Amino acid sequence: MPTSTRYRVVHETRYLYSGTVTGSRQLAHLKPRATPWQEVHAHRIDIKPATTERSEDEDYFGNGVLHFAVNNPHDELLVRSESEVTVSTYADATTGNVQPWEHALAAHDAIGKPHDLDVEQYRIASPMVPLLDTAAAYARTSFAPGRDWREAMLDLTRRIYADFTYDSEATTITTRVAEVLEHRRGVCQDFAHLMISCLRSIGLPARYVSGYVLNRVPADQHKLAGSDASHAWVASHCPGRGWMAFDPTNGKLADIEFVTLGWGREFSDVTPLRGVVLGAATQTLTVAVTVEPI
Amino acid sequence: MTPTPKPHLKPEEMLSNYPFAEGRFDELFEEPYQPRAHWSRLYSELTQTSSEEIRERLAAAERRIRESGVTYNVYADPKGHDRQWDLDVLPLMIAPEEWREIEAGIIQRANVFNLALGDLYGEQSLLKSGLIPPNLILGQSGYLRPVHGMKLPGNIHLHVYAADLARSPDGRWWVMADRTQAPSGAGYALENRLIVSRAFPALFRDLHVQHLAHFFATLRDSLMHFAPRGDGPTLTVLLTPGPYNETYFEHTLLARYLGFPLVEGGDLTVRDGCVWLKTIGGLKRVHAILRRQDDTYCDPLELRGDSALGIAGLVDCARRGTVLIANALGSGVIESGALLGFLPRISERLTGEALRLPSIATWWCGEPAALEDALEQVEHLVFKPADPAQGFQVIFGQDLDAEGLADLRKKLSAHPERYVAQELVRVSQAPVLGRVHHQQIAARGIGLRVFAVASPMGYVVMPGGLTRVASMENARVVSMQRGGGSKDTWVLSPGPVDTAFSLLRSTVTADDLVRMRAGIPSRLAENLYWFGRYEERCEDAARLLRVALKLTLEEGYAEDNARTPVLALTRAFQILDEDAEDTDSALLAAATLHSNPFGLPTNLRALENVAFNLRDRMSLDNWRAINALIMDPVFGRAVTLSDTLAWLDRTITSMMTLSGFALDGMTRDDGWHLLSIGRRLERLAFQCLALRIAFNQGLGSGLSWLLELADSTVTYRARYLARPEWLPMLDLLVMDSANPRSVIFQASGILGYVIKLERVYGPCGSEMFAPVVRALEELDAGKLDPENAELRDTIDRLRSAAFEINDLLTQRFFNHVHVSTRTMFGI
Repeated sequence: MPTSTRYRVVHETRYLYSGTVTGSRQLAHLKPRATPWQEVHAHRIDIKPATTERSEDEDYFGNGVLHFAVNNPHDELLVRSESEVTVSTYADATTGNVQPWEHALAAHDAIGKPHDLDVEQYRIASPMVPLLDTAAAYARTSFAPGRDWREAMLDLTRRIYADFTYDSEATTITTRVAEVLEHRRGVCQDFAHLMISCLRSIGLPARYVSGYVLNRVPADQHKLAGSDASHAWVASHCPGRGWMAFDPTNGKLADIEFVTLGWGREFSDVTPLRGVVLGAATQTLTVAVTVEPI
Repeated sequence: MTPTPKPHLKPEEMLSNYPFAEGRFDELFEEPYQPRAHWSRLYSELTQTSSEEIRERLAAAERRIRESGVTYNVYADPKGHDRQWDLDVLPLMIAPEEWREIEAGIIQRANVFNLALGDLYGEQSLLKSGLIPPNLILGQSGYLRPVHGMKLPGNIHLHVYAADLARSPDGRWWVMADRTQAPSGAGYALENRLIVSRAFPALFRDLHVQHLAHFFATLRDSLMHFAPRGDGPTLTVLLTPGPYNETYFEHTLLARYLGFPLVEGGDLTVRDGCVWLKTIGGLKRVHAILRRQDDTYCDPLELRGDSALGIAGLVDCARRGTVLIANALGSGVIESGALLGFLPRISERLTGEALRLPSIATWWCGEPAALEDALEQVEHLVFKPADPAQGFQVIFGQDLDAEGLADLRKKLSAHPERYVAQELVRVSQAPVLGRVHHQQIAARGIGLRVFAVASPMGYVVMPGGLTRVASMENARVVSMQRGGGSKDTWVLSPGPVDTAFSLLRSTVTADDLVRMRAGIPSRLAENLYWFGRYEERCEDAARLLRVALKLTLEEGYAEDNARTPVLALTRAFQILDEDAEDTDSALLAAATLHSNPFGLPTNLRALENVAFNLRDRMSLDNWRAINALIMDPVFGRAVTLSDTLAWLDRTITSMMTLSGFALDGMTRDDGWHLLSIGRRLERLAFQCLALRIAFNQGLGSGLSWLLELADSTVTYRARYLARPEWLPMLDLLVMDSANPRSVIFQASGILGYVIKLERVYGPCGSEMFAPVVRALEELDAGKLDPENAELRDTIDRLRSAAFEINDLLTQRFFNHVHVSTRTMFGI
């Protein structure tokens, strides 16, 4: 297995509106994040029609954000993001010290002790990820007392992969974790939210990672451009190990096949594209993603 | 004849029902019948005034409350109907030395909160050090991450701060709650002052009561001071969630008093990193926003996406520093009661001082030790939500039975972080005038809301505040939402009061005058225009129905040939359904029932809606005139013919009264011009339609109905003393520019107003309209008859020109008002 891979990612979002939009203001989380395991060589976003305002910024979680507005009438909006990155295997890899998962629990009563807010903020409920008794119960099957943190994490990841059915018709972007847990169906966003809820409900920190995964095809088949999708998975923190990422949708560690855009508490913090439009009644959204090793 | 004054009541009689306090502090009495020194003047005034005089003063105060329309909306009421403001005229008296303590304590707390907000949205050292448990703040929906790291002018997050104080039995003041989101009540305090100071003018002067005006001037001038500059004179707006908000009346009052346009989210837009107000004169740069809307609803792009009230891009403008938002976005996070227990240490850390004005004992149950304490004494405590957005009702442990207590303990243990436990205080009592016997004095529990405003010289406290009165003798919660009342608060000063107003600058500059004249908000303009249109449409509908019902149902009124054209008109005006089989009952229904979508009740409702949105611009009389019709027993009910006719008479009278208000009571600004254009367009279109239908009947038809519709019967009779004939009648209804109901009167009026608007705003349709009006003027007055093709053609052209003007104005001035916004996500 190689220790690093270079990718080109093209992510195209197209809105077709039912009428004329007189103004549109958008927020894009489409820039790959530079991390110790991911180097960003190139990145550009092209927008049609031409923007009337455009500026770049960094959000609270340290992700790159693009603000833009199109204030001329239009009935279609195209946002095309193209990036080149190299992803490497990160430090922890597959081995590491065996460490009971309880070491990663919060020291809630530690008033006066310096807190790592970057960990603490991922332990609590967020608007789309409630803490649930049912989620905690589901998690505890994997998190038996004294079990190694990494082993328990992988077990939970695999159980979600095995117990849940990938079904893009079953949910919408606002489907609640409790429903997903009950119906056992959903898409990557649902599984990520579910796993985050499981971890936070037993006191472990968990964040939502937005990005892409390489869509492997058998060698004899030709891969269609745009057939990939944006993806979401989960990272959790263990003292001494740092953040490690797990993908419940595919039941595995998030390794060098995963391109990271950014992270937050949940989907709403890192929505790839979020906007407010004036005038149109309805919209049709088409998304096409191509991830190719180069 | 002079009435013999009733003898004064003895204090024993006056106080026969007074509950001399046991176990609580009495604001008025030190000992039974012995008032405290700073109350003695008010007490002797009460004991020496005759009951008649007291009754008169009360009546005058109540009249003033009604007339100024002071109201408080209650959310639970689906129609948002207003509750009249409940004011007790006896002010709460506060001695100077006591006030100095409160004032210093409030200034210190405002400073601590402001510094804490600066830390939470900056360095976060309070969280990192654990001085505030991180999950207490990071888990709050009010902690707005997009706001983190913003640079604010003067480092001020908290421009307006309020604290709810209560006095414990030992006489000490405690803070029960802090308001940092968008504190309400300062405007009500002002209104109370205006009313109460008039009820006791001599007392007010002699006691050197401190004035409130300075506080508001400081607020206005400080916002201007801290606001960024650029794109013309500094413009501050007051942002309201709208007329359905519980304190909307206060928003209108403050907007008027401070001279800020009152705007809703839809009135503002973001362009090129700045906030702009949509006015009929185009976009005007907004430099400062005094916010009465909760921050999470302020920007659907970066905050709550489901907010229909927000301004997309507002957060980004704040980040760029192109607009001052007061209070800063995110300031609500700190009003959680969960913070109170940590405040003493926060104060020491941030200011190096101990808190002068302590909070009532309060614990956040999210801390294990606090939870344990709370569980042990559940029945003695009060429980509140830790996150104000959770919004459950306050729970009193002592109200619960064994089962309730067990249930509460269970909830606490399951989600301790959601609860704040607070000690129960027996608040002090203050005297109130008896409701039935005005000279009987009763007592009620009170709380005091005190306000501070940030200025370049530090926080300034309003010398006074809003005293809130519990609704019942033993009520423990002092709350406006729960139906309590209020009082004025008199802070006495040892010497003459300082009445100098402004700290920073002269109040109104020539620039401001220019600004005030140019461009009213588009939404306001549109509402005024539609007010004119609906008001006239209601009148037209009522007149037409009256004529039609008299014709078809009243014997002896029927005039030859009139029935056909009148019914044709009711159909053309859509008030009568084309397919209605029983026209008589359909007409009755159109007059009083909602079933007809073009009937009178539907139009009255539309008028009410528009008027509701115009409450900050119109006198209460307008509102009352419309309300009387909506509340009329006939409205929405099927009634007899004679009751229906009487109802139509009432409607017509009310509509004429409304026109009178507009004519007499409104400034001739652009808004008034639009209102007048609206009314005249509606009338012009209706008159033209009626004439066109009369023409189709030809020469022999009866004409009285046409005169009556145009309210010109009396004029016609006075002039011609004859049965109506075509030539004189057409002269009166079409060509007579002295008749305010004539076609030419409407047409030339519209043209005149349109030309006035065009001087400021550019073309609005006079080019199209003027030739039609000229054609009308040039008609040969001697040849007016229904067969005259030129007349017919001119009337038709006028009618379509009226619709064209409507479209032009809509496009020119109101188009961007109704654009729907949607938040959309791309994955």
